[in-house]
Amino acid sequence: MLVSAPAIVLLSGPLYYSSLPLWTTLIPMLVGIGIYLLKDQWETLRKGCALAASIFAFIGVMLLYPYSLAGSVSYDLIDFMQLGLFFELDLIGWIFAFLITLIWLLATIFSFAYMDFEHNRRRYYSFLIFTLGATLGVVMAGDFFTLFLFFELMTLSSFVLVIHQQDIPSMKAGILYLYLGLFGGLALLFGILMLFGATGSVDIAPALDLLEGQQTAIFICFLIGFGIKAGIIPLHIWLPQAHPVAPSPASALLSGIMIKAGAYGILRVSLILYLPAGELTASFASYLFIIGNILMWIGIITMLGGAAMALLQTNMKKILAYSSVSQMGYIITGVGVATFLGTEGGMGFTGAVYHVINHAFFKAGLFMMVGTVYIYTHELELYRLGGMLKKMPLVAVTFIVAAFGIAGIPGFNGFPSKTLIHDAMLIAIRDYGFLSVVLAEKIFVLASALTICYFIKLFRGVFLGHVPEKIDRDYQLPFSVNAVLSSFALIIVAIGLFPNLILEQVLVPAAERLDYAGYAMDHLYHFHFFEWQPLEAMLIVIILALVIYIPAAYRGWFDWKPPWWLSIYALVYRPVTHRLMDVTCRVGVMVDSSVDSAYDKSGSAARTWCSYVGNLDSGLDRFYEKSSIVARKLADRSSDVDTKIDEFYEKSGKAARKLADRSRDMDSAINEAYHKTGIAAKKLAEHTSDAESKLDRVYDIAGERTRAEMEKRLSQKRGKSQRFDPSKWTTKNLSFDTLLLVLVLGIVLLVIFYFGRTL
Amino acid sequence: MSPSTVIAMLLAIIGLPILMTPVIMYSCRFSEKLRNLLSVATASIVFILSLLLYPFVIGGGEIQFTLFEVLPNLEISLRLDILSFCLAALASFIWLLSTIYSINYMATEHACSRYYPVLIFTLGACQGIFFSGDLFSLFVFFELMSLIAYILVIHEETEEAMKAGYKYLVMTIIGGLALFFGIIIVFELGGTVSLGVGVIIQEVSTLAFIAFICFLIGFGMKAGMFPLHVWLPDAHPVAPSPASALLSGIMLKTGAYGLLRVIFHVFSPEMLLQQGWDNILGVLAVITILLGSAVALTQNDIKRRLAYSSISQLGYVLLGFSILNSNAIIGAVFHIFSHAFMKSVLFLAAGAIIWKTGKRQVSDMKGIGRQMPVTLGCFSIAAFAMIGIPPLNGFLSKWTLALGALDANMPIYVLVLLISSLLNALYYLPIIIPAFFEAPGETSPDSDAGHDEIQFDIREAAPAMVAVMVVLALCTIIFGLTPNNIAFTLSRLTAEFLLLGGAF
Repeated sequence: MLVSAPAIVLLSGPLYYSSLPLWTTLIPMLVGIGIYLLKDQWETLRKGCALAASIFAFIGVMLLYPYSLAGSVSYDLIDFMQLGLFFELDLIGWIFAFLITLIWLLATIFSFAYMDFEHNRRRYYSFLIFTLGATLGVVMAGDFFTLFLFFELMTLSSFVLVIHQQDIPSMKAGILYLYLGLFGGLALLFGILMLFGATGSVDIAPALDLLEGQQTAIFICFLIGFGIKAGIIPLHIWLPQAHPVAPSPASALLSGIMIKAGAYGILRVSLILYLPAGELTASFASYLFIIGNILMWIGIITMLGGAAMALLQTNMKKILAYSSVSQMGYIITGVGVATFLGTEGGMGFTGAVYHVINHAFFKAGLFMMVGTVYIYTHELELYRLGGMLKKMPLVAVTFIVAAFGIAGIPGFNGFPSKTLIHDAMLIAIRDYGFLSVVLAEKIFVLASALTICYFIKLFRGVFLGHVPEKIDRDYQLPFSVNAVLSSFALIIVAIGLFPNLILEQVLVPAAERLDYAGYAMDHLYHFHFFEWQPLEAMLIVIILALVIYIPAAYRGWFDWKPPWWLSIYALVYRPVTHRLMDVTCRVGVMVDSSVDSAYDKSGSAARTWCSYVGNLDSGLDRFYEKSSIVARKLADRSSDVDTKIDEFYEKSGKAARKLADRSRDMDSAINEAYHKTGIAAKKLAEHTSDAESKLDRVYDIAGERTRAEMEKRLSQKRGKSQRFDPSKWTTKNLSFDTLLLVLVLGIVLLVIFYFGRTL
Repeated sequence: MSPSTVIAMLLAIIGLPILMTPVIMYSCRFSEKLRNLLSVATASIVFILSLLLYPFVIGGGEIQFTLFEVLPNLEISLRLDILSFCLAALASFIWLLSTIYSINYMATEHACSRYYPVLIFTLGACQGIFFSGDLFSLFVFFELMSLIAYILVIHEETEEAMKAGYKYLVMTIIGGLALFFGIIIVFELGGTVSLGVGVIIQEVSTLAFIAFICFLIGFGMKAGMFPLHVWLPDAHPVAPSPASALLSGIMLKTGAYGLLRVIFHVFSPEMLLQQGWDNILGVLAVITILLGSAVALTQNDIKRRLAYSSISQLGYVLLGFSILNSNAIIGAVFHIFSHAFMKSVLFLAAGAIIWKTGKRQVSDMKGIGRQMPVTLGCFSIAAFAMIGIPPLNGFLSKWTLALGALDANMPIYVLVLLISSLLNALYYLPIIIPAFFEAPGETSPDSDAGHDEIQFDIREAAPAMVAVMVVLALCTIIFGLTPNNIAFTLSRLTAEFLLLGGAF
């Protein structure tokens, strides 16, 4: 629903619809789950199921060959996960699918013998077959979403194969594998999402001109995602750890097949997705040129680094694992050269795909051969092995064949693919001639020489020399082992002797689909491998290898163990991942706990404030309490005062009453006194009036006497002076009695006042 | 289906659990079996009733119904639309399974006569949230659920639980107050708080912004948004496991639900985008995602690890809300579904381990997969879904969210999602790998025992518990890879409804 149906069909040829791709993918996965549900004891049934599933897948893929050759087979499971699961098997995919099913079938048969020595077979077979389905899904996927789904499933299920042993090294290696795989998966997902954001579809179709501005970011995402699986340096670190610890058939599949899923992805991205849907303009061509160069150099570095590291190993499975890294370098180099050569890239493309095929055969074969040695001797270290040539001649012979294959000896299968890649580089030199490619070609030769060196070392260590006592036994190899190993050797020789068969049957048609043309394609149509020029190149490599190996082995340079801290893991990965994890955790915890403590602090601050308020409250309470106590006391006291006052009042009342009584007494007394005074005054008045009248009389008498006297005097004086008029001056006017009355009244008042005050 | 039937059903869905609470409480006096039966029966009836609403809702039906007015324009009302239905159906489903799981799990626990009524009551309140027709009723049910859930949090009554419960309570109250404030502002600005009138706040103002922040605090607190998440990693682990599953699986989502309602019914997405308010949510969501994942890495207690993981996962949902385009909303709503299934399985499986072995520390769980393969199998499936391994539902929600982020031209959000996925792997795989591939109890793996068969010593939890986990784990697969993915279809319809239809 979210993914539009594939609108752009780059690959020419008719489109067939068939659900076979779905079933070849799904049936092994279901059988894998089914095997897990079987009982532990049902050994034969389990093996039968596993074999049947791998044969089914093989037949399914073979049935698809004619359709893929003619065009492509597609099947759309609409609305699966709302995104739609889209299978499309074209010829490139078919080559991978064929390899996967064929080698898986051989590995399954080999497991029957090998796994009898191992524990936990139920889990092993279950995941082995499940992984087959997932890996097939990767190469049958028609869009990047489907591819991603199976890619993740493959990573997860193969993890169980890696850690099968469950000892400390395998757990460590497995966990590294899983985390890097998931990291790669997420990088891939990011790339796919950005692709979808830019183009609106996740189809594997040319889309370079739609990815404006994001193409580099998307390419890096894809490169990381697929590169981790492919084991390109510097993303290879999981590979030399994980491949050796797995059981040998699983190692063979991991090294022979599963890392090819990464190469397949890189091939799809750089040779199909990174093509413009329209015209190939100059700017796109120059961009592709840069990408191709980068890819080629990644391949060259991987090739050389892997070979050099393989030389320094003493564990035979580790040598093979590093050898896988190195060989992946060849494939990536081929893809890179094909990318920057543009339409001339046919040679690089066919070389890369051819090397995928060849590497799958010889590396899977080599792991099984080494595994055969291991399962009988329980030794992996070169210096504890030796002389196996006599003990296991068949293994030794097949080993030589496979080693010749990987070394690129003419007549064995590595030779044609290496020649094609080498020729592609020569075309690049011819067309561009710049230093980068010239240098790359020289390193290519050196790496090929080193490949021969480490295989000489491996072969000498395992098969030559004398047999250590501990493993000096007679070994009877079961038929299935012999058959599987011989068939690998036969295939290797067959391809080596008839290199043009595969080239013409599948590789050239596949290259034609990609619109390759020009000189390279002309050349490919009738490529002569057994000509002087390729043979000469190979001869140079062999001579160089001998020149390097003989003195170096003589002086023991290959025994030098690089110190651990020099490894890329110790130099880059460990510090980076540890630092990152550390920072992530620390920052996270810091922020989290600081938020937490902020809450706690604000809470406790609030609590403190509340407690202040509480204190204040209780203070107030206390205050009220105290004040109430005080008030009560006060009240008590005031009631005392009250009673006292009461008493006082009472007393004062009594007093007042007494006073009143007294005052009444006094009043009456005063009354009496008044009365008495009144009486007294009356008496006084009477007396006074008596006295007055007496006085009157006295006055009268005195008056008369005075008058008489006056008259006497007047009579005397009349004569003398007439100035005084006696008639005007009269005593009656003076009223002497009034004066007396006033006097008496004043005295009475005085008496009253005096008495009144004393009372 | 006539509207009146629907309203009756809504009332039953909300009312039945609440009414059954005293009944269950009373039944505890008679027999434990009756109590368990009544609890499961109530949960199943609610689930069935919720499912019966499906045909009405899928036909585009919507109902807004006022029960009564509290104040003029402030009413208690019911609402049913597709968003309500999604969450209600999901909630009742997980609730039913958790209740079934509880029967065995709680058999060894104390105070079950408190646990079951509270569990059922919370179901009613939770459904009430989803069926609320206006912010006020939503608020009432929200508070009701939050406060009652406190009893589930402190069920163990240990000191730790009490402390965590206290923290939960305080944060709930803070959130509730913020929510209340926001509702008041909305009422003031728009004159109504009903969800049925379309966009309530039309004009941008400072007050509107304050309201937005208040809602963000109130609902974000429940959804465990940074920096309001502090209660979550304490409260979820201490609760009994079925309750943790509900707390993490459903109750967190009420916050997300509320935010969704607020974004689409109170404000409008256009307004948020125009004003850049979505950026606040976006930044907080990114911090929440990364912080939750990073801290989960350092936790040794399995339930604490899961709780931090919940924080991070709810961050995805919030991120989807902040992007606010079609794919992002689909992804966010679908992630609500996915996370409910995944996290319930994880908590229930952790609960089964604790119940059976008493081990809580991740470092003690070596080899436990040989003892409880089914439990750990379910755990692994859910954990893979969390990491985002393709055919599982977690991948689909991440994919859709990432597409939404790309549509909004924000590849940085995609990067955040993927980094968080990697961190998910880093904290889930160290549980799963030793559980299956290391020998139990020993300090070292099976050293030099390469050829011995690995012994399975199967001692699974009770069958009902295992069955519940298996059902939920199957859901994570079914809602991932099936073409007729009901959860995804519902999410898509919800997003269409919200983005195109609004309300009425």
